Amino acid sequence: MKKLWLLMMMLVLALVVAACGGGEDDASTEEGEEPVETSDSRTLTVAYGTDIVSFDIHDHNTTSTEAVHVNMFNYLLTNQGEDGFQPDLAESWENIDDNTWRFQLREGVTFHNGEELTADDVKFTLERVAQDETLLEHGNYNQIESVNVLSDYEFEIVTVNPEPAMLNRLSRLGSGILPQEYIETEGWEVFLEQPVGTGPYQFKEWQRDDRLTLEAYPEYFGGEPEWDELVFRSIPEDSTRVSELLTGGVDVAVNIPPTDVARIDNTDGVSTVQSPTQRVMMLVLRTDDDSVTGDPRVREAIDLAIDKQAMVDSLLEGAGTVTRTRVTPGNVGANEDLYEQTLYDPERARELLEEAGYGDGLELTLTGPNGRYLKDRETVELISAMLSEVGITVNQELIEWSAFSQRYQERGFAEMFYIGYGNSMFDASLALDRLTAEGAAGESDYDNAEVNELLIAAEQNMDPEEREQQLQRAQELIAEDRPQIYMFQLDAITGINDRINFEPQLNEMFYADSVTLN
Amino acid sequence: MKYMGQSLLKTIPVLLLITLIVFLLVRVTGDPVSLMLPETATEQERESLREAMGFNEPLAIQYFTYLSDLVRGDFGDSFRYNTDALTLVLDRLPATFELAIASMIIAVIISVPLGILSAVKRNSFFDLFITGGAVLGKAMPNFWLGIMLILLLSVTFQVFPVSGRGGLGHLVLPAITLGTGIAAEMTRLIRSSMLEILGQDFIRTARSKGLGEAIIVNKHAFRNALIPVVTIMALQTSTLVGGTLITETVFAWPGLGQLLVQSVNIRDMAVVQAATFIIAIFVILSNLIADLIYRFLDPRIKYD
Repeated sequence: MKKLWLLMMMLVLALVVAACGGGEDDASTEEGEEPVETSDSRTLTVAYGTDIVSFDIHDHNTTSTEAVHVNMFNYLLTNQGEDGFQPDLAESWENIDDNTWRFQLREGVTFHNGEELTADDVKFTLERVAQDETLLEHGNYNQIESVNVLSDYEFEIVTVNPEPAMLNRLSRLGSGILPQEYIETEGWEVFLEQPVGTGPYQFKEWQRDDRLTLEAYPEYFGGEPEWDELVFRSIPEDSTRVSELLTGGVDVAVNIPPTDVARIDNTDGVSTVQSPTQRVMMLVLRTDDDSVTGDPRVREAIDLAIDKQAMVDSLLEGAGTVTRTRVTPGNVGANEDLYEQTLYDPERARELLEEAGYGDGLELTLTGPNGRYLKDRETVELISAMLSEVGITVNQELIEWSAFSQRYQERGFAEMFYIGYGNSMFDASLALDRLTAEGAAGESDYDNAEVNELLIAAEQNMDPEEREQQLQRAQELIAEDRPQIYMFQLDAITGINDRINFEPQLNEMFYADSVTLN
Repeated sequence: MKYMGQSLLKTIPVLLLITLIVFLLVRVTGDPVSLMLPETATEQERESLREAMGFNEPLAIQYFTYLSDLVRGDFGDSFRYNTDALTLVLDRLPATFELAIASMIIAVIISVPLGILSAVKRNSFFDLFITGGAVLGKAMPNFWLGIMLILLLSVTFQVFPVSGRGGLGHLVLPAITLGTGIAAEMTRLIRSSMLEILGQDFIRTARSKGLGEAIIVNKHAFRNALIPVVTIMALQTSTLVGGTLITETVFAWPGLGQLLVQSVNIRDMAVVQAATFIIAIFVILSNLIADLIYRFLDPRIKYD
């Protein structure tokens, strides 16, 4: 009995000590910590915050699920951002006319079950997602009218309208190619239990909400895979994911909170890498005459009153980049003159408000989601505080995401709302579609005839250079008109064990074969 | 037997009410379509998905469709996983049972000796320390305790694995996290229950006929003190379920709790409904079992 009592007391005491330690400066307390063990195991373990949703590549729209899928399935081509499109399953392609693209398929590619890849598999895959309205990715592929098979290794994709972003659509979420024969003979249920692709790693085992294990596919057309085994673990709690990294339990941990960066970097054997993502956080403002924000001077004053760099430095601890456009580098049509740029001049903001007749101050409502994006509540609070400095009284509305989302769909916000948009298409045209007169109706009510014309022309312009100019010009005008005021582009922070080399991708995919042992 | 039959009959309206409440709650709190599609989706995409999933039907019709499927054992499909919701829930039960049983064992191991000791040595330093510890144990939130245990025993001393489900080592930290609160509650209860019994006449009689203190405490007093404890243990089933939601998330334990949290977050209605239904059945069953154990502990209790 005494021993038990002693043990209890020690445990409680130890907990209290641990709790007190947590409040101190992390950098100083962690320095004496044991270095993380490293090994040369050929198993790569990666921790995500959620489990994959499904092996149905067309019926999810989660980046983290796709990040796993890209190790099992191949796209026809990959989008390398500034390096353009690179061949993957397709060897070459050409744009025959406005609506037709012809592809040459790589020969000798086999699926994990031994079947050979042919143009029929491509037809089966793309027509499925283009035609089945219930699939979550349908909206991004319904531009495809049909796929015509010319021979085993040659096929044409015909689009409904001229589609300049066709290659972007074919090199993103859901673009993997599926085995037609396997799925048609065995059925979808078998495929979802025992998925088969062409990628460097094949399915081994999936324990939901725990781990997915893949193993090397020796017949991979790209050569021998880098790792014998990949383990994708699902660890929802941030601090647990960090602890797994610190103890060597995982080699890679994604979505590290900015507050844990110092702790990881001060521990031997592990470190963090930061890389930009496609997500840009912004304020969307009403521009109609009935709103106070309808006056361009008020919108400019709001922009000038907010110190975005300070928010990146304090709230995100540097894990972000200020920008004056939503289309960041690596996207077709990005206007890089507006990137890494920000305006902050509270003096001028006060003057502008004075000129606009709001010298005595004005009041407006800012709505933001709570818990959807990294530090969203804090950002909205900081924006409100900065606006009040120049005489704008902000009625803050912070609401839970599903309620926010409902109002977002109804376009029912007051003067301003805070939101973050991603961009899996890597193309400016789709990124700006809420700023055409039609897209903005009821939301920002932004209606600039020139912007509208440029954006509509770019949607179907098959001349890449001219199209790029149209999109860049539109961004300039938008930056001046401010129907959206951009705060910052979010960075992804990834923790890695020093036994490996890892380069994060802008599209947040995890290509295990690009990770090497140190 | 008759009592059992009646009790089981009574659970039917309870379960019906639970299905209705859960059904309405998941629908009132948000539109799953808005959570499934990204911010940039068009109205048309949202509308066609809503139509495809049957969310455009009136609520009453949706509920009756759900009930009639339920009677046939069909809980619907998870739209996140695209598979049968009930299978998903049942697949998670072993992991959750494992955790729940381990926590209960830890709770009993801690609370029974401490509760008795604290009653026997009433108002001593031990008593003060144990009751103080019980208050602390009850006050510590699961998520905090879990994170602290990980930091101390996994990161600093590297005794136990951080997270996941595997060998016995993986079970220790989550079981302590979940068991501590229950142990605290049970310790206090055993103490007060023992104190009450120890003051009763039959104990004085036992003492006066010269029985050893150990026999008095362990045989006469403890067995009688157990009756309220069993009630609390049965009621702890719901605390346990609530605790698994947090504990499983902190420790990445692939059980029912984590499934339910994630399903609620994305409004995966079929899974939320199936999981709460199964949990409700367990809570009702554990209460019934507690009733039966009373009879065993105290033959004077009759239910006719």
